[in-house]
Amino acid sequence: MKPVSASPLSPSVKVKLLNAGFHTSEELLQLKPLQLSKEGGLSLEEALEVQQILSRGVDQPGEGGARIGLTALELLQQEERSIVTFCSQLDTALGGGIPLGRTSEVCGTPGVGKTQLCLQLCIDVQIPECFGGLGGQAVFVDTEGSLVVQRVADMAHAAVQHCSLQDHDSEQQEAMKDFTTENILDHLYLMRCHDYVELLAQVQLLPDFLVRNSKVRLLVIDSLAFPFRRHFEDLSVRTRLLNGLAQQLIQIASQHRVAVVWTNQMTSQVRSGQWELVPALGESWGHSATQRLLLHWSGTQRQASVFKSPSNTERSVPYSVTQHGFRDAPHASPGASGPPRREAPSGGLSGSKRPRMQEGQ
Amino acid sequence: MVVLREGMCPGLDENIVRDLRAANITTVEDLVASDTEELAQKCSLSYMALLAIRRVLLAQHTAFPVSGADLYEELLSSTAIVSTSVPSLDKLLDSGLYTGEITELSGGPGTGKSQVCFAAAVHTAHQLKQSVIYIDTTGGLSASRLLQMLQVQTDHVEEQMEALQRIRVFRVFDIFSLLGCLHTIRCGGLQQASLGGGSVKAVIVDSVSAIISPTLGGKQNEGMSLMMQVAGALKTIAKDFNVAVLVTNHVKRGAGGELQAGLGLSWSHVPRTRLLLERSKSPGPLLGSTRTATLVKSSRQPCHIKAEFDLNWVSGPEEGLLGRKRARDSSDS
Repeated sequence: MKPVSASPLSPSVKVKLLNAGFHTSEELLQLKPLQLSKEGGLSLEEALEVQQILSRGVDQPGEGGARIGLTALELLQQEERSIVTFCSQLDTALGGGIPLGRTSEVCGTPGVGKTQLCLQLCIDVQIPECFGGLGGQAVFVDTEGSLVVQRVADMAHAAVQHCSLQDHDSEQQEAMKDFTTENILDHLYLMRCHDYVELLAQVQLLPDFLVRNSKVRLLVIDSLAFPFRRHFEDLSVRTRLLNGLAQQLIQIASQHRVAVVWTNQMTSQVRSGQWELVPALGESWGHSATQRLLLHWSGTQRQASVFKSPSNTERSVPYSVTQHGFRDAPHASPGASGPPRREAPSGGLSGSKRPRMQEGQ
Repeated sequence: MVVLREGMCPGLDENIVRDLRAANITTVEDLVASDTEELAQKCSLSYMALLAIRRVLLAQHTAFPVSGADLYEELLSSTAIVSTSVPSLDKLLDSGLYTGEITELSGGPGTGKSQVCFAAAVHTAHQLKQSVIYIDTTGGLSASRLLQMLQVQTDHVEEQMEALQRIRVFRVFDIFSLLGCLHTIRCGGLQQASLGGGSVKAVIVDSVSAIISPTLGGKQNEGMSLMMQVAGALKTIAKDFNVAVLVTNHVKRGAGGELQAGLGLSWSHVPRTRLLLERSKSPGPLLGSTRTATLVKSSRQPCHIKAEFDLNWVSGPEEGLLGRKRARDSSDS
């Protein structure tokens, strides 16, 4: 006895049906379409559509386990692999890397290395399986115009070099023939979105794209915040669109076995006279991603903090960005984990954009 | 607003329905509200027959009165209290999650809402040997984390696997799938889910705000109606099947900058008990694992009492925290 008011019908049709005295979808399905259109005051097309929508919910008991659910044991067996970041400390903190089937948010101030991490992931996801990678492909949705192809090529070259040092058996040597800079660039799909409408449309179309390109294991949106930080007069509309987008992305992640990573900007917030840097898009947006990674400066050291995660404890680890890409910090000093948000404004942020010291040499 | 149909009750045949329609009586409400004598004259129907129909319809459509003594008897025999396995939270909740009620955890990102949900699920599945339905709307359920929690409690792999099998996970990402899922649970899904052994004692929705908030905001008002549908479905499940329902909610800042549970005023009436989780304001490092819980709404305990708990209470190496847990109760009200 499923109530009509809880069905995915348009509000105007629902009102008509309820006024005509129909309460459950079973009542509606018993009638012939002609009868329904007469009694409910609908057009024949509407009546047919109503019955189609409702019978979809009743007749399919399966729907890929969605209706009976899975036990946690089955879920454990399905638990997905992760994409390595090439920063071993960060991988440990994340329990192996960026997990497939989940959403991750990377927040950070300009120049701290958000895009670099995303690009590194786009390359790492393509590492052949015999090297312990995933042998996948990547989609990069660029909203800021921040993708520099020359930089990707450099990082890809470094990754190929890194793998070629380790090819020991014939299978790995065979795999190395296909793992070239050209192929890496070939398997990175770039989508450029200029405003939030284009971004929302792109996300609507992505499931089809992912079905056609079934090897895609990573979806990057860099950045999600940028298109949503302007053009909005009514903030409640923005919140609604963003929340809907987040649910769509998590759906994509879990249905297509894809890791979804997006970047977010930082904004300053004044609270009781003091200001601090917090991720943009508001307080409630913080819930949207399954895990949240905060990149920040601690003095001259870049640090990554796992800020929200269902499976890992919170901690901060140092990392660096070199000409080869996203890597471990050169002289790892594990003790240096100061309070990130309070220290950030007084550190490198207020001054120049990138206080790069000895990194990259 | 139930439409009169033939065969709804004895004596209500096709002719009578047609005659009543002619007199503009189409629903049960119309019939009950109208004057039977007048109606009998107007439709030239037998007064006795109409009276009989009216009586049957009234009986069919009214609620059945239950005495308080009976209710109390039922309460004593059927209400169970499911522990969250976090001692200080149990203390706030007056010893745990009550069956037949909705309990809500609200808090900002990373304040441990999901962790408490995991702990409650693991406790119910392992210690109480009862089934749990876990509706995951954010993809946040991590089976390996559940296993990790179980490994702390028992070394037997078989027991761990059994407990995991008692947790049934539904993944839904939009409001209509959630309503559909709740509907399946209501008609038979609960029995199916309990096949693994033990009956379902807890239904957890993590998080209810992730699924409802995309329908709210702007000039849309259908979202409100859908939100109340969800609330109604959850309440029915809690009452009819006598299970504890645990939901999580996000937070927002009020006008004065204070934390409030999300989803607005109308939702705030839905949960019977509400806890607000926050990061503890301690002088230590920002990424500490202690959290403060505040009782915001309750019908059993004074509101605004606080308790602290540690998120590491079940994670492997840092064992022993359980004993050292501070349950600093202080009543602000």
